[in-house]
Amino acid sequence: MKKTGASPSRKIPGALAAVAGVLLLLPLAGLDAFLLNVLTVGFLMAVYTGSWDIVGGVAGQVSLGHALFFGAATYGCALLTSLAGWPFPLAAAAALLLAAAAGAAAGALSAPLKGPFVALLTLALGEAAHEYFLGQTFFSPEGAYSWGGEGGIPVLLSGPPFSPWTLYYAALAFLVLSLWLMLRITRSEEGLFWTALSGSELSARASGVDIPKHKRRAFVVGSLFAGAAGIGFAACVGRATADDFSLELSFQAATFAAIGGRGTIVGPVLAALVFHSLLQGTGIPSEVRVLFYALVLLLTLRFFPGGVAGTLRERARSRRMVLQGKGRTR
Amino acid sequence: MPSLAQVLVDGVFTGASYALMAAGLALILGVVKVINLSHGAFFTLGAYVAYLLETRGVENPVAAVSMAAGIAFAFGVFLGKSFINPVRSHPFSVAVGSLGFAILFEQAAQILWGAHPLSVDLGPPWATFNGVLLRRWGVISFLVSLALTGALSLFLSRPAGLPLKLIAEDEEIAGAVGMDVEKIRYLTFGAASAVAAVAGALLAPAVAITPTMGRVPLILSLIVVIASGMEKVWTLFFLAMGLGLLSNVSAYLLAPSWSYLLLLFVVCLLLVLRPSGLAAAEPGRD
Repeated sequence: MKKTGASPSRKIPGALAAVAGVLLLLPLAGLDAFLLNVLTVGFLMAVYTGSWDIVGGVAGQVSLGHALFFGAATYGCALLTSLAGWPFPLAAAAALLLAAAAGAAAGALSAPLKGPFVALLTLALGEAAHEYFLGQTFFSPEGAYSWGGEGGIPVLLSGPPFSPWTLYYAALAFLVLSLWLMLRITRSEEGLFWTALSGSELSARASGVDIPKHKRRAFVVGSLFAGAAGIGFAACVGRATADDFSLELSFQAATFAAIGGRGTIVGPVLAALVFHSLLQGTGIPSEVRVLFYALVLLLTLRFFPGGVAGTLRERARSRRMVLQGKGRTR
Repeated sequence: MPSLAQVLVDGVFTGASYALMAAGLALILGVVKVINLSHGAFFTLGAYVAYLLETRGVENPVAAVSMAAGIAFAFGVFLGKSFINPVRSHPFSVAVGSLGFAILFEQAAQILWGAHPLSVDLGPPWATFNGVLLRRWGVISFLVSLALTGALSLFLSRPAGLPLKLIAEDEEIAGAVGMDVEKIRYLTFGAASAVAAVAGALLAPAVAITPTMGRVPLILSLIVVIASGMEKVWTLFFLAMGLGLLSNVSAYLLAPSWSYLLLLFVVCLLLVLRPSGLAAAEPGRD
C-alpha cells in the first residue's frame, strides 16, 4: 500500500543535504568566531526544538515546561563537575540520565491528563524548577563565594577548552545524528503509537493502544534529546544558569515548532536554526527577540490554527484530488 | 518586620482581589471554554496603569481602577475576538497562543518600563488595632473585590446572566435560540480581562510591580478555577482567599519565592490527584 503524504517528506532529504553542505562549508568560507558560536548554539537549540516536537508535535502532548529537561542536564553537568569534581564525560552521562528521569517523571504525572491540562502541568513543573533554582545558591568548594541563580555555576571541562571550530563541527554532527535518530524513531512502530495519541485518544484506546505507556515513552525520548542538547550547551557556554529552566526557553521551543510545522521534526529544527541564527547573529537584545517570537507565533497560530504542516498538507491534498479528477477517473 | 497578625490581615485583603481575578478566569473557562494563560498579563497591566497614573500625580484609586478596566477591556475584546474565538477548537493554539500573548506583554513591559521592581505609594494607614495597620489600599481592594464578586454572583443568578449560563451549558441550544454566541464570548473575554486588570490596579500598592508579576496570581486563579468552577462564585471566593492567605503566610514564614513554589506544587498536586474531576473544563467535543 502506498503511504499517503509520503511525497512531501521524500523531497526533504535532498534539500537537507544541501543545507548540510552549506553548513559544512561555512567555517572554511571565513566565518568569524562570533557567528561560528551563534551557529553552534543554533544547532543545539535546533536539537532541543526537535526534542520538543517529539513530545508536543508527534505525540501531541503540548509541553510548556520543556526547559525542565534542558536545565536538568546543564545543572547536572555544572554541579557534578564543579561541586562534586567529576570528570566531564562521566558528569555528562549522569546529566543525561537525570534529564531522562525528569522526563519519565513528567510523563508519568501527565499520563492521565488530557489536552490543556498536560500543558498546565508541564508549565507548573518547569516554573517550579526555575523558581527553585533561581533562589538556590551553592557554595564553591575552594572559595567563600557562592554559585547559582542568575549568575550560574561554571561547568568544568576536563582538559583544555575546545576551539570554536571543533565545537561547531561537533554540534553540527550532533544535530545531523539527532535529526536522523529522531526521524527514525518517529517513523518506527513506537512513532506510530505516538501519532495515534496525537489524534483522538478515544480511538487510540479503542484500538488497544496502551496510552500511559506510550505517553511516558514519548516524554522520555524527548527529554533524552533535550538533555543531550543541554549537555552540549553546557560544554559550549561553560556555565549553567537558572535561565536554562525559564518559561521563555520552553515557550521558544513551542514557538519554533508551531512556526516550522508541528509534528514534522524537520520543520521545527529548521525554524529554530533559522530564527536563532538570524536574530542572535544581529545582536538584538533578548526581550525584543522574545517579543518578536511571540508576535510571529500569534500570527502563525491565527492563520494556521491547525498547524502549518497540517494546513499545507490539506491544501496539497485537495490540489492533488482536483488534478486526479481532471486526469483519469479511478 | 511586620507581625504575623499584620500578614494575615493583608493576606485577607490580597486574597479578596485574587478571588476577583479567579472569578474572571472562571467566567472565561465557563463561557469561552478555554484555559486562558494570558489572564496574568492583564493583572500586570492593571498594576502598571496604577503605577503610571501615580507617576503623573493621579492618586485616586477610582481613576486607576476604571482606567485599568477600560484599557484591559479593549485589549481583551481584541484578543477574544481576533485570536481566541477563531482558534478555540485547537487546544494547542489556545494554550500556546494565550501564553504567547502573556509573554508578548511581559517583554513589552520590560522594554517600556524595565525589569526592576517598581512600587506605588502605600498611603497613610487608616486605623490601627493592637499594632495591626489597616491601610487604604487594603480596605478599598477588599470592598471593591467583595462588591464585584457579589455583583457577578447576583448577575449569574438573574435572567440577565442566563445567556452566559446557557452557553456554558450547551452552546448549540444557545445558538439555536438566537443568541450571538461569538459576540457574547468575546465580550465575556473582555469583561473578564478587565476584572483581572482591576485586581491588579487594586493590589498595585501591595506588591512589587515587575513584568512577570502576573504569574503568581495566574497560577493561583488556575488552582481556584480547576477546583471550583464557574457557577459557585462564593466557593471560588473563599478558596482564592485561602490561597492568598497561604501564599502570604508562606512568604512571611519561609521566603518570598516559597509562596510561588507552594502554589505551583498545589496546582501539580490538584492535576495529579483529580485528573478525572476536570472533565467539565474539556473544551469542545470531538
